[in-house]
Amino acid sequence: MTFPTSHKTVFVMDHSLTTSSGVKLEMDSFSKSRSSSGSNSQPLVQPMNLIPLLPVTKSLWTCAVEAITEYCRIVWDIFPGTRLIRFIAVDKTTHKLSSWNLEDQSLTNLMNAFMMLGPAKNVGVGKLDLLKGLRAAIEALTEPSAIQHEKRTSLTENATKVLNKGRIILVTKVDCEEEVKTLKEKFHDTLLHLNKIAASTDNLMAINHCDLVLLNLWPEGPGCPIPRRSWPDVSTIMSCELTNIQGGTALAPKLCNLVLKHYDLASTTVTGIPMKEEQNASSSANYDVELFHPAAAHAAILKGIPAETAHLKTYREGTDYETVTLKWCTPRSNASIELQHCSSAYRITSVDVNSRPSSCLTNFLLNGRWVMLEMPRKSGSKVISHMLACHGGDIYIHTMYTSRSILEDPPSISEGCGGRVTDYRIPDFGELIKANRLAPYPDSALESDDNTTPLEKSREQLSRHTKYWPITLSTTSLFTLGSQIEPLTTLMLKETLTEAEVIECKQVILCLMSMEARGDPLPSPMAGQRGKGMKREDQYRVVWTELEQYLQLHLHSADHEKVLECFMECHNKVETPEYKGDDKVDIDQALKELDDYNYMTEREKADFNLSSGTKHTPAELPIPDSKRRRTAPPPLAPMGRSSGVSLLTLWENKVASEQSRRCLEFQGRLKAEDNVTKLYVSLQKDKDKDEGSRKKTT
Amino acid sequence: MPFTRDFESIKTALNLVEECDKTSIDVGLVGAAQHILEEWGNGTPCQIVLVTDGNAGTGQHSLQKSMMSSHSRGASQFPLPFPFPAKLTIVCIANPTEPCLQTSKPLYQRLIELNGEGDILVPDGSLSKKTVTEMFDQLIKNNFSSYSGTLHCGNLSAPVTLSPPPQPYCRHHDFEVMRVSVDSAIQVLGFLNTGDVSSPPAFSRHLVLPLSAKGDMVMLPKVDPGSDDEGGGGNDEGKIPSFCVLLHGGLKRENMVALCQVGENWHGILYSWADNKKKSNLMLSLFVPGLDVIPWMGKLSYLGPASQLPVNPYGPSDTSSPFPLKVHEKKSYALNCVVWVRQGGLQSDIQKILRHARKLPDKIQSFYKELNRVRRAALSYGFGELLEGLANVLERECTLLPSTAHPDAAIQLQHAYEALRNSDKKDIRQNIAPLKTTFSGND
Repeated sequence: MTFPTSHKTVFVMDHSLTTSSGVKLEMDSFSKSRSSSGSNSQPLVQPMNLIPLLPVTKSLWTCAVEAITEYCRIVWDIFPGTRLIRFIAVDKTTHKLSSWNLEDQSLTNLMNAFMMLGPAKNVGVGKLDLLKGLRAAIEALTEPSAIQHEKRTSLTENATKVLNKGRIILVTKVDCEEEVKTLKEKFHDTLLHLNKIAASTDNLMAINHCDLVLLNLWPEGPGCPIPRRSWPDVSTIMSCELTNIQGGTALAPKLCNLVLKHYDLASTTVTGIPMKEEQNASSSANYDVELFHPAAAHAAILKGIPAETAHLKTYREGTDYETVTLKWCTPRSNASIELQHCSSAYRITSVDVNSRPSSCLTNFLLNGRWVMLEMPRKSGSKVISHMLACHGGDIYIHTMYTSRSILEDPPSISEGCGGRVTDYRIPDFGELIKANRLAPYPDSALESDDNTTPLEKSREQLSRHTKYWPITLSTTSLFTLGSQIEPLTTLMLKETLTEAEVIECKQVILCLMSMEARGDPLPSPMAGQRGKGMKREDQYRVVWTELEQYLQLHLHSADHEKVLECFMECHNKVETPEYKGDDKVDIDQALKELDDYNYMTEREKADFNLSSGTKHTPAELPIPDSKRRRTAPPPLAPMGRSSGVSLLTLWENKVASEQSRRCLEFQGRLKAEDNVTKLYVSLQKDKDKDEGSRKKTT
Repeated sequence: MPFTRDFESIKTALNLVEECDKTSIDVGLVGAAQHILEEWGNGTPCQIVLVTDGNAGTGQHSLQKSMMSSHSRGASQFPLPFPFPAKLTIVCIANPTEPCLQTSKPLYQRLIELNGEGDILVPDGSLSKKTVTEMFDQLIKNNFSSYSGTLHCGNLSAPVTLSPPPQPYCRHHDFEVMRVSVDSAIQVLGFLNTGDVSSPPAFSRHLVLPLSAKGDMVMLPKVDPGSDDEGGGGNDEGKIPSFCVLLHGGLKRENMVALCQVGENWHGILYSWADNKKKSNLMLSLFVPGLDVIPWMGKLSYLGPASQLPVNPYGPSDTSSPFPLKVHEKKSYALNCVVWVRQGGLQSDIQKILRHARKLPDKIQSFYKELNRVRRAALSYGFGELLEGLANVLERECTLLPSTAHPDAAIQLQHAYEALRNSDKKDIRQNIAPLKTTFSGND
């Protein structure tokens, strides 16, 4: 239903209803209970010396306000913010009590407004002008609500199609049918007139359809002489209805009927709620609680064949609308942490909100318990059809799937693609999931400078977190290292790094290097898998390759680059010229050298280290070219304490390599072919060009 | 004929259908709708294919008549729109030029408009076996092709299919008509605790099945040590890692769901779902399109990475959660509001005051709280008479106090009934405050 009539409702209330409604409250009875406390069975005795108290009587106005606030309570509980109601009271003048603003759509504000208005006033005969009130109501309807305004000015193709529908409910006492006729006709004329005015303005909306409801309020006692009537098509833009509503016990059900109709609500009675007796806590009895909610919540069970569900519908005592009775099921404690499959969820409100059974049920729900409701089938079987649950302070009725599922006997994930792979990095992915958890952002955080929504930010973060993410253990060596590479792999994912974090990352690299130098085995379970049969230095080499690839992909900031630089520097200085060339040779050579090394005496070792140290003169080092290195990373020679390379040498190498990068190569030498560089190339070019153009002109 | 995949039995049944002399399409549609409701309920998207000779029927109960009346229709009479998500395809086995079809076509068009979703198929060219076959091929292509897309999570991805194929969404909302289809890219945007999403209502549910790199659906044979090479090809696919399986494993392990986007302003959640104890699977529940569709999660676009908030709302040890979002305005059932429209409401409110009055001065705070609650309501309801009546009752209570009563009880009661009587002389918004007495000094 697009543009529902119920979006905007204006109540026009006759503030001159001072007439008694005939509804009395005996005040005398309140005092009696004291003398009779504990002996309910005995006839009560009035204390001798007391003057009897007079009963108090409600005026029609009081009945009207009571009824209207109850109407609003139901609507606002179920449709907060989307169904708007405002009030106009008429006596000698017109009082606008509220606006379309959301702040005005609350019981507290409404009660305050009525308090300030005060009780009904006697106005002289003929002084009451209901039409003035109706006129104000039509004017109110031409004012767009916030959402109408938003849609109308949205600059989309739908903007012009926003329809303005509404309902005006006049609460008064009508004495003859003639009066109804006059009101209806004059209302229609006013509507047409005001529509013209609204159409000629920018800020008002003409009314596409208005439903006028005349609520004829009568005192308790004999029935109202004017029959209920409706005129569904007064004109294309107006429908009208006259409803009688009588003070007293009949008022509440009649009112409920009206709300149900106006807002397309339905009633559910939860039956069999076990409750402790007030007097006797050890025994419990079953109670029923009636709830209202949008009728759509019943669609799943009622839209089928009427005969199948007829047994669910009954009339509660004194009401003239149907209620669907569903049975309370003892709640399961873990229901709320599981995903229940439901097709809809609608807000509810209890009908007799302050009654003990109602407040018992709502408090139970407000405390976080979920209640399943069971529908008896005609065949006698039962099925869970609904669920009551509170989310953040609002109680909802969820509609569960009751019919056959098309997903019967689905295959297991292990039976499909990738189902036989057993070494997925599931725990690691669990960590990624936790690190990418969503949370609502406060309004203040929404006005970010880059105009991205928080959800887009999350998508960016997710993309950053998956720049390099092998999904199985057998495709990674780096991530099998476990705590050894922490916190590097956590920190590098961040958008920015602090100075300290850069150092932490560098430490991870240096630590790995020294491990390798010491010849420590890699602390990974992968030794049993991918690394099986691989020599230790090869394992390290694979890790280094992967780490470099990882770092290359995570250059989110200058600080991230520092980590990569550190990695590069660490590796450059141990790169030996002999290792340039075929990868295969590299490894063989390295292995040979390592074997030789192991057989050396201490003295020889020192010499070897010295010579290899001197081999690494800065001049021989190529300028690091990360692109090339990525495909063929250099193997690393053992180093560290045992190899005798001192910290000083390391430092000097580092400084030297930095310098080598800082001083640019002479341009001429770079362009040289066979050590010969042509000079004044541009002159030659100009000359060629000149000749070319001359040829063209001739 | 019950729903079946048994081709032969359908064929047999069709051959048994007797030809009649009257066309009542609406009756047929009612029957189809009932059949579906009985079996699948009103939440399962369905395809309804109406095969016709292009004659919409004539006479008293013809389609035209029923549609005219459907303007002010008793909703149960006319079957459209179907009470479940359904696409109505009308397949006309008729010459496109046939005059009968020309008159029927606008009626068919109207049927589809009433349903909201659907299509009319007419043979391309004169009626022949070939054109009819082509028309049905078109029908299959339009409505029964399987979904093939990619599930993305940052830079990780996997080709997937959804079963059943997702249907386009077309429904009327309060202020707009939503029309949106599922994209071929399903994008994971972040993750949420299963408990936090709190069983959100779903428009539809789909099994997410990984496809092989070639885009094929692969069903591995049940592990059977005796089987020979027959399942070899399938087994290879089983051994090529799929991101789907990883995602499923991660979600299951952490008991979390992945929020994903499937179209413009259309979102859903991916989670591990188990039909029975053994077989768990990756499931996609699609929400109703829109950004504000799950009230307790707030606007979906306002969800962002928790780790980038100044204070992580999940707390350092995962003990807290920002969900569900708290509502601003408490509902009546949580407010202790005043409702006197039913008999007994007012009575029990007054009795409550008296109960506290008889326990004065102990219950002094509760007494004044209830007194003011009733007083405010009476003033709002324009029920001044009640204030006087209540004052009288309290005055009598005062005279009935036993001699053993605390002196403060009488003083407070007197203060209360005098204040009730003077309601009109003071600012009525002011509550009645307890009287400070020498007896209540230690308050």
